[in-house]
Amino acid sequence: MIEFEEELKKFHPSLEVEEVEDAIYNQDVTDLADVLVKMVKEAKEE
Amino acid sequence: MLCFKCGCRLSEKNFCTGCGADVGLYKKIMYTANRFYNDGLEKANVRDLSGAVSSLRQCLKLNKNHIDARNLLGLVYFERGEVVAALSEWVMSKNIRSEKNIADDYIDMIQNNPGRLDAYNQTIKKYNLALNYCRQSSVDLAVIQLKKVISMNPRFVQARQLLALLYINSQEWEKAKKELDKALKIDANNTMTLRYLRETEAMMPSEEERIRKKKDAIVYQSGNDTVIQPVRKKDMVGMQTIINIVIGIVLGAGIAWFLAVPAREQQVRDEMNEKYKVVSEQLDAKTVQVDELTTQVSELTQEKNSLSSSLSQVQGNNVILEANDNLIEAAFLYINGTGDEMAIAQELEQIDEDYLQTESAESFRNLYNALKDSVSEVVAEDSYNLGYEAFRAEEYDTAIEYLDRAFRYDQSNGEALYNLGNSYHQKGDTDKAIEIYEQVIELFPNTEKARKSQNYIKEIKGE
Repeated sequence: MIEFEEELKKFHPSLEVEEVEDAIYNQDVTDLADVLVKMVKEAKEE
Repeated sequence: MLCFKCGCRLSEKNFCTGCGADVGLYKKIMYTANRFYNDGLEKANVRDLSGAVSSLRQCLKLNKNHIDARNLLGLVYFERGEVVAALSEWVMSKNIRSEKNIADDYIDMIQNNPGRLDAYNQTIKKYNLALNYCRQSSVDLAVIQLKKVISMNPRFVQARQLLALLYINSQEWEKAKKELDKALKIDANNTMTLRYLRETEAMMPSEEERIRKKKDAIVYQSGNDTVIQPVRKKDMVGMQTIINIVIGIVLGAGIAWFLAVPAREQQVRDEMNEKYKVVSEQLDAKTVQVDELTTQVSELTQEKNSLSSSLSQVQGNNVILEANDNLIEAAFLYINGTGDEMAIAQELEQIDEDYLQTESAESFRNLYNALKDSVSEVVAEDSYNLGYEAFRAEEYDTAIEYLDRAFRYDQSNGEALYNLGNSYHQKGDTDKAIEIYEQVIELFPNTEKARKSQNYIKEIKGE
């Protein structure tokens, strides 16, 4: 049975065009390759 | 594939030929990222956009520089109506690779059409407003806003899902299913859509019930609304049809009675009033004529009375003249000694009795009486004889004339009176006969004539 209030919480406001720039800057773009490089670098330092 | 340390192109070896770095793990990460990209591409090809987004995000978590994955992710976002998210991915893609990047075309497609971009932005604002309405329990306003959003951007999956949720909440299953079906055509494997759809189909009436309902109603689409029009039942047969016909006839008769009859009565009343008016006018005209004629009658009556008075005076004068003439003639006959007493008597009888008794002079009356006395005996005797002879000769009119004169000149002559009655009796004038007989009985009682007269009266009366 669908609970309306609970389902409604799953919907979030959509980003407007004016907020594109903030969205890009705030996006976490770290990928697994970055993590790997960082790990290799730390291992060598030790 | 480039070395993450020196940027040299890597070979099939697990180390970099340029800097000697161990790239075995790195290569595995890149290969895994490529597998997620391929998976995302396959899902996008079959319109599993949600699955494609998931796979492409996994790809980008492994390799943020995967341009194709990022561009495809932006394209998938754009297809689902999430324009800002798409723009975001394409801008980052262009930032990673500024040359020979298809993201340029995508960004130009939107930016070169400011009206379109503004329309997308308005769509997003309205969606956010509708979501706000939902949280404020203004469901009707939210539905209106979401319908506008969908009309402006039909591929906005989230808007359709939210609208479907509102329909589910208000138990409008058909509408909810319609929105969900359209959402599935855009994003074929969206878990939220599928869950809502399963719930909706579970709550909707069964196929059998829908078929039965369709028989009772015609369902068709009018814009965004589904119109259900009841079908008129055609199974009214037999007694029900007859009852309906009878009710119709009764209603028709009632309407005719309450509408037509008063109109007819009013028409008849108007006709009667018109006739009454005509008759009244005629009556007034006749009344005027009667008044005029009455006035004329009154005038003529007065004129008649006046003329009658004048005539009476003239006649009075004539009576005087005639009476004088008759008396003078009678005196002349007597003085000449003609011996014709009957002629003298006839002259005297022509004198008007009223004039003689009332208006005549005393000398006139003295002369009259003298002449009458002188001839009365002879006249009475001659008249009786002539009358009796006429009676015997059955000349009753002549007999009556002479016998009447005989009795007038001699009141003691009972025979004359008795034979006068017999003359009337024989003539057939029974009333006059009875009158005379009664005079005989009265004037000459205890006589043979009285006894006979009494017998004749009884005979006439049939006693």
